[in-house]
Amino acid sequence: MQQRDVTQADAPTEGGPTGVPVPPPLGEHLRSPRLRAAMVVQQEALYAAREFLRERGFTELLPPLVGPVTDPGGRGAKALDVDYYGQPYKLMTSAILYKQASLRGFGKLFYIAPNVRVEPPETAGTGRHLVEFHQIDVEMAGASRDDVQEIAAGLLSRVVAHVWRTVPDVLRGLGRDELDFAETLDGKFDGCTHEEAVARLAGRGHRQSPDAEIDWAGEKLLSLEADRPFFINDYPKGSRGFYDREDPERPGVLRNFDLIAHGGYGELVSGSEREADYATIVTRMRESGENPAKYAWYLDMAREGIPASAGFGMGVQRLVRFLTGLDALWQVSAYPKLPGVIAP
Amino acid sequence: MTGLRAAGFPEQAVRARARRGTAEVFPPADAYGGELFGSDPEGGGQLPFAGDELDQARLVPPVFMPRRLEKLIELGREPLWDDVELATAVGGFSSRLPLYLSAFGSTRAGSGDLGVAAGRQAARLGIPMVIGENMVPVHGYRRGDEAGTRSALLNRIAAYAEEVADGVGGVVVQQSTEDADSEVWNLVYSDPGTRPLLESGRLGFELKIGQGAKPGLGGMTVVGAAEAARLAGRFAVRDLLGGGGEEGEAAAYRLRCASPGTFTEEIVRQQLRFMRNNFPRARTWVKFHPGRDVAEAAATAWRAGADAVTVDGAEGGTGWAPRVFLDQVGLSLTECLRRIGRPAGCLLASGRVWEGGRAVRALALGATAVGLGRAALVAVDEDPRDGLVRLVEGLALEARLLISALGKYSADSLTAEDVWFPGAPAAPAPHPSFAPAGGAS
Repeated sequence: MQQRDVTQADAPTEGGPTGVPVPPPLGEHLRSPRLRAAMVVQQEALYAAREFLRERGFTELLPPLVGPVTDPGGRGAKALDVDYYGQPYKLMTSAILYKQASLRGFGKLFYIAPNVRVEPPETAGTGRHLVEFHQIDVEMAGASRDDVQEIAAGLLSRVVAHVWRTVPDVLRGLGRDELDFAETLDGKFDGCTHEEAVARLAGRGHRQSPDAEIDWAGEKLLSLEADRPFFINDYPKGSRGFYDREDPERPGVLRNFDLIAHGGYGELVSGSEREADYATIVTRMRESGENPAKYAWYLDMAREGIPASAGFGMGVQRLVRFLTGLDALWQVSAYPKLPGVIAP
Repeated sequence: MTGLRAAGFPEQAVRARARRGTAEVFPPADAYGGELFGSDPEGGGQLPFAGDELDQARLVPPVFMPRRLEKLIELGREPLWDDVELATAVGGFSSRLPLYLSAFGSTRAGSGDLGVAAGRQAARLGIPMVIGENMVPVHGYRRGDEAGTRSALLNRIAAYAEEVADGVGGVVVQQSTEDADSEVWNLVYSDPGTRPLLESGRLGFELKIGQGAKPGLGGMTVVGAAEAARLAGRFAVRDLLGGGGEEGEAAAYRLRCASPGTFTEEIVRQQLRFMRNNFPRARTWVKFHPGRDVAEAAATAWRAGADAVTVDGAEGGTGWAPRVFLDQVGLSLTECLRRIGRPAGCLLASGRVWEGGRAVRALALGATAVGLGRAALVAVDEDPRDGLVRLVEGLALEARLLISALGKYSADSLTAEDVWFPGAPAAPAPHPSFAPAGGAS
């Protein structure tokens, strides 16, 4: 990966919770040419994403911002509470539950969704976490994992092709080389299972729990070794939310995936086939320590029937970081909020 | 003193120890030479009550003591009782004693100043502390009241952290189903105030699956009508307790019930896995009620990577419970330990522990450490500054005396052969599941 110039104006300052660089004051950050370049790339990426999905019959909806429950998530991230006419509501960590519900009227839908996750402060130094971020959030009724992986791969290829066609000078100015994206453009990505990824990491001397998501360091290791994006399939139950469908043929294995970018950029997409059966959803909620009563509106709908589906979320800032080759997510967000750092 | 009472518990003996510490381990010193002592076959002996099966079991030192010879060789002199090492690993923490402070639940007695005082003293003793369920849904997290003081939960964590020495102890926060709605673990894990504990590996979370006082039921507390109205959205609140009368509805009592939560083997396994994945830097504990399948439950938890399994005997619990549950439901602690047999991981036991004999018997029957619940509350009620420290000093002295008498010099070297149940099948064949390490002797 080539290095790009870091202008003095937006040089990071020390002082994060774990001694990692933190963004400069917001006024300085907003003036930086590097941010300007990143926002131009982001604008083109979103244009291409919308175009690609609309061509395939997806309808764009605008996502809800608050609700009585949200995606319980994982990895220690927390939802923010909102006092909603005296009721405890949550800001959306993801709108997955609403995506599933929307399938009743919209068989193929997507959001460009803002999400808020209060990530553990130790993730401030990964370069891959922001408290406020956006996802291209896609859901498709009746789809299998293969179907949505094809959409995710096609979406990434289209975005890469589009930005190189429309803003090549901006990308080159950031130190990017089109050759680095050659394998991304053909949309033929590699794949492995979670079990294989764990074994590969063990072979590199990296201790990765077989029961958990691939940790940040492990993900980076795999990403650096790859020469094209690749899918990791079949995460173990307990590592992901209750809505990821358990493989009926292989209890304990989920019909889900991540799409990992090569070059050390790590996870761009998380997706899965979804649980749609009411009793299974309730049981899976208990297995993840959730109180089903909180999810009354969603469970009522599941009892009446939610279409089977598959879908994914592609992180917008992660995508733009991959395209621009910048070091940290905060460099591609106009208003960055790093985990554990109090910022405007 | 707050007027706290603990009927059915050796409250006066605990209060005496909270005042006089190790002096209470012995008969009055001024009686020495003027009075003859011995066991009292008519009464409960030196215990102030008849006790249960575990109290009636006896510790039985052997004559031949190869482990004492080992200690003699190590020391180059005859070992004494104060050569017994009590420091041990408790659920992933270093503890100076095979003890921990049990959760008090959301009893009024446990969540106020007494809880803070007990936590402070547990920290001084270098033993882990468990903070009970329902503190957050009942008392809130950030603030305890309108004046902006800290909540009960944060108060207890802060008091503990102020007093605890480096490298020992730990704080374990319980979460039950209602707590999950308030995301207690998430709040604690991400709170800057708990970071020193987290970074020194001294924060843990306990999945609360049940409790000794009410096996199969959730937590219950008594609340006034006003508080009942406030809690009604989060708990079942029922009008079953009378009160009110001439003083009007405002003085009436209400029963606030938490749900027990639904657990299967797979739910337990997955919830523990979730905890380990979501809070990788916290220790993972799980607490079971004395259910008839407690051995399978414990084995499931250890296989899923739990750092500790806590078993609360039916005689345990500081909480308030229906009478029929107090006397008629659940396995005794002894039976729990018997069913678990040799534990495959760290086993923590609680239920009526207050002195060294019961503690040492529980350790011999498989526990790594024992919890102090009611005894700790009564001790700090007697003396909020030093009551628990004195009670534990007495307990630790007794433990050292007893363990050395058994010819052993560490808490983890005790085995089931050290315990004899009067009336049990004739020696030398102990109960099969109590076979000592290395097979029956």
